[in-house]
Amino acid sequence: MQKIAIVYSFNTMKTSKIAKRISDAFGKNAVEMVNVEDVTPKQFLKFDNLICGTATWFDGELPNHWDEFVPELEDMDLSGKKVALFGLGDQKGYPENFLDGMGILGDILEAQGATMVGFTSTEGYTFESSGAERGDQFIGLGIDFETQGSKNKERVNGWVEKLKLEFQ
Amino acid sequence: MKKDRKYNIKTTDKKTLEKWFRLMTLGRLLDDRAPNYLKQAIGWSYHAPYAGHDGIQLAIGQVFDRETDHLFPYYRDMLTTLSAGLTAEEIIYNGISKDLDVAGGGRHMSNHFAKPEWNIHNVSSSTGNHTLHAVGVGRALKKYKTPGISICSQGESSVSEGYVYEAINGASNEKLPVLFVIQDNGYGISVPKKDQTARRKVADNFAGFKNLRIIHCNGKDVFDSMNSLVEARKHIEEKEEPVIVQANCVRIHSHSNSDAHELYRDDFELNYVREYDPLAKFRRLLLRYERFTDEELTVIEEEMKQVVKIAHKAGMAAPDPSPDSIHDYVLPEPYVPEKYTDGTHQFEGNPMKLIQALNETLKAEFRHNPDTYIWGQDVAHKEKGGIFNVTKGMQKEFGKERVFNAPIAEDYIVGTANGMSRFNDKIRIVAEGAEFADYFWPAMEAFVETTHEYWRTKGQFSPNITIRLASGGYIGGGLYHSQTIEGTIATFPGVRVVYPSFADDAAGLLRTCLRSRGLNFYMEPKALYNAPKAATPVPDDFEVPFGKARIRREGEDLSMITYGNTSHLCLEAAQKISEEDGASVEVMDLRSLIPLDKEAILASVKKTGKVLIVHEDKVFSGFGAELAALITDEAFEYLDGPVKRVGSTFTPVGFNRILEAAILPDTEKILTAARDLLQY
Ligand SMILES: Cc1cc2nc3c(=O)[nH]c(=O)nc-3n(C[C@H](O)[C@H](O)[C@H](O)COP(=O)(O)O)c2cc1C
Ligand SMILES: Cc1ncc(C[n+]2csc(CCOP(=O)(O)OP(=O)(O)O)c2C)c(N)n1
Repeated sequence: MQKIAIVYSFNTMKTSKIAKRISDAFGKNAVEMVNVEDVTPKQFLKFDNLICGTATWFDGELPNHWDEFVPELEDMDLSGKKVALFGLGDQKGYPENFLDGMGILGDILEAQGATMVGFTSTEGYTFESSGAERGDQFIGLGIDFETQGSKNKERVNGWVEKLKLEFQ
Repeated sequence: MKKDRKYNIKTTDKKTLEKWFRLMTLGRLLDDRAPNYLKQAIGWSYHAPYAGHDGIQLAIGQVFDRETDHLFPYYRDMLTTLSAGLTAEEIIYNGISKDLDVAGGGRHMSNHFAKPEWNIHNVSSSTGNHTLHAVGVGRALKKYKTPGISICSQGESSVSEGYVYEAINGASNEKLPVLFVIQDNGYGISVPKKDQTARRKVADNFAGFKNLRIIHCNGKDVFDSMNSLVEARKHIEEKEEPVIVQANCVRIHSHSNSDAHELYRDDFELNYVREYDPLAKFRRLLLRYERFTDEELTVIEEEMKQVVKIAHKAGMAAPDPSPDSIHDYVLPEPYVPEKYTDGTHQFEGNPMKLIQALNETLKAEFRHNPDTYIWGQDVAHKEKGGIFNVTKGMQKEFGKERVFNAPIAEDYIVGTANGMSRFNDKIRIVAEGAEFADYFWPAMEAFVETTHEYWRTKGQFSPNITIRLASGGYIGGGLYHSQTIEGTIATFPGVRVVYPSFADDAAGLLRTCLRSRGLNFYMEPKALYNAPKAATPVPDDFEVPFGKARIRREGEDLSMITYGNTSHLCLEAAQKISEEDGASVEVMDLRSLIPLDKEAILASVKKTGKVLIVHEDKVFSGFGAELAALITDEAFEYLDGPVKRVGSTFTPVGFNRILEAAILPDTEKILTAARDLLQY
């Protein structure tokens, strides 16, 4: 398997924790951590397998670190790339916009031709609406530190096992 | 997708980016500097910092077109107004309340930036009530088929106000070109938005409204804000319907300088709102995408510091308003009748009922001035015209564009009159404020606001409106169909209050109202609409000047000063006294309460030495208290007895006729009081 990039902001708290957990589950040598705060298109496009992580902020927004990279993303040809997403959100505090950030990012990547992998079931989450929903699945892995933090480990590990197959 | 939108960090031309960066930098320098003026006791005692709203405020100002649009900014909209074209000097003059303040010469609270000359309207501190005004002017834009939109901006919490719902409902129903911008910073002072409404995004509360588009954007992001407002504007213009844009913002600082947000926000939050500073984001983008170098941006930042320095100097040197000016611009000069200079006539035709006098005068004035409009509940039907038929036949003659029904939303009726009259100074609006004076209370907010406009703008905006109300009792109407509310209304500077009691005066006063600039409150004694005793001959062109009382009966021994329904009761009492007691009573019908014919009152008092003030409203705190005080103050030496008053008891008006009779003044009560007084 080719090296996988985990792209996220190094300045985050919880997103960083999940990124580390994912990295551990793959094994250190399988992944490279990439900071979205200063990544260049060239660095991003170096990878064919990417995992992008984002929380949702401010009632359904992509955090600045991703938002500021979007104009670059929008000029990229991502066909042939496999991208998996993980998103952080709070289903109790923000049930109207649960994991929207992951959904926004997914829309952009898909529009640029990326093949999205790592969809997960929405079962086990309670919310009103989510921009990350695709049918009865989330476009990526949903993590909720605030209300379901105890499930993080199991969710991440299960997801990584699935990704190992999808990232062939 | 996003990249197809008009503005983008990669493609927007450098000049535009530079203009934005200049404005945003200038705005933040002023925003950050404002508290210093208070610390140094110079002024700006109210400052609501906008930091965190930068994207959306820049965008509002940029989409505003001063040639065609109307803008209603709120107290946090400093960057909005700068971006719309105000200068740093103008911001500072307003901040420190100088005479040069273009909003209104320091009359309005600081941080209420405006420039009426460009239709950047001077709005209230009453959170969100300018939505009604924005909708009103939107109605005018539509009626006059002029290009342009009306833009209204406010915080998310004030959307809770009932009038905001009325305004949005009206804009949706009338399909008006209004852009409602909701700047969502999550708080109303210290109250988190979850305490306002169940949804996180209040704009979505309006999702069920027809003819209305709702757009959400990131108000912290310049590009998303610009693109969303451009899209909103396009939608309004193409679809001819209103749009709400809810912009996600952060409030980086406290609500205002009288708030301490550390008391209710933790360090985590205080930190992340700073991290999401929209100006810092814009700057990062300019550098990351190599549109500007750090040196270039630093040069602009230095230049803006100089701009602020110069503006500060100008502000410090600017004159304060003069204390002598306080009485200027309370009301504009009224129309002054040339023919009937004292508001009397010698015409001898067939008597006309009061209701007919109103109806015919309205029609005559609508023929005379094509920029006249009337609306209210129930005013416009083919065969009907108002529940009392005062406006009968008007829609038929003048059409639906000028004569139309309003929703049961009195605040909306009056608030949109205020707004519509901002379109131009020729417009004259007759608003049937409510079906009964009793139902005017929901409109009080809009009314009070309208009384302030002329003064607050230092004469730059005159709401030219006549509010008509079917008033008073004597019809067995009970608590909610008998009220007469002039006692309350007359406590507000900025409105003329008239209250005719005969058909000719009703016609003459209405004509003068409709030809005058300013706000008029026109009370109609509905018990007299069809009463033969109120019917008189009415000259076609009759006019009654404001502030001219009319002596309806001359006398020597006692003056009855009255208006409205009780004019007739006084005349009956005077007649009786003359027949039974041989005394001669003068009956003066004030006709106008504001302005008041002081001269006539004092002349009558000086002649008779005895005064009985009679009105239908409650004696306690009624308008008569003011008259009594005036007379004792200015004609004490001429008085031969106490100034007496007859009016209602200090109770509501009961429905049962026995109760009503016990409460309202009648001829007997007036007779008793007059005879007592004559004994002195
Ligand atoms: C101001 C604020 C707004 C938020 N808005 C949302 C939201 O709209 N939807 C959601 O699912 N989670 C929302 N969250 C929850 C965050 O996504 C969650 O706390 C996440 O774990 C933060 O990750 P980070 O520390 O890596 O940024 C919000 C959190 C904050 C503080
Ligand atoms: C009618 C009215 N009620 C209350 C107030 C007091 N007040 C001033 S600002 C404010 C909060 C408004 O919050 P929001 O609309 O969210 O705007 P923000 O100040 O947060 O930008 C309140 C309650 C007022 N000015 N007017």
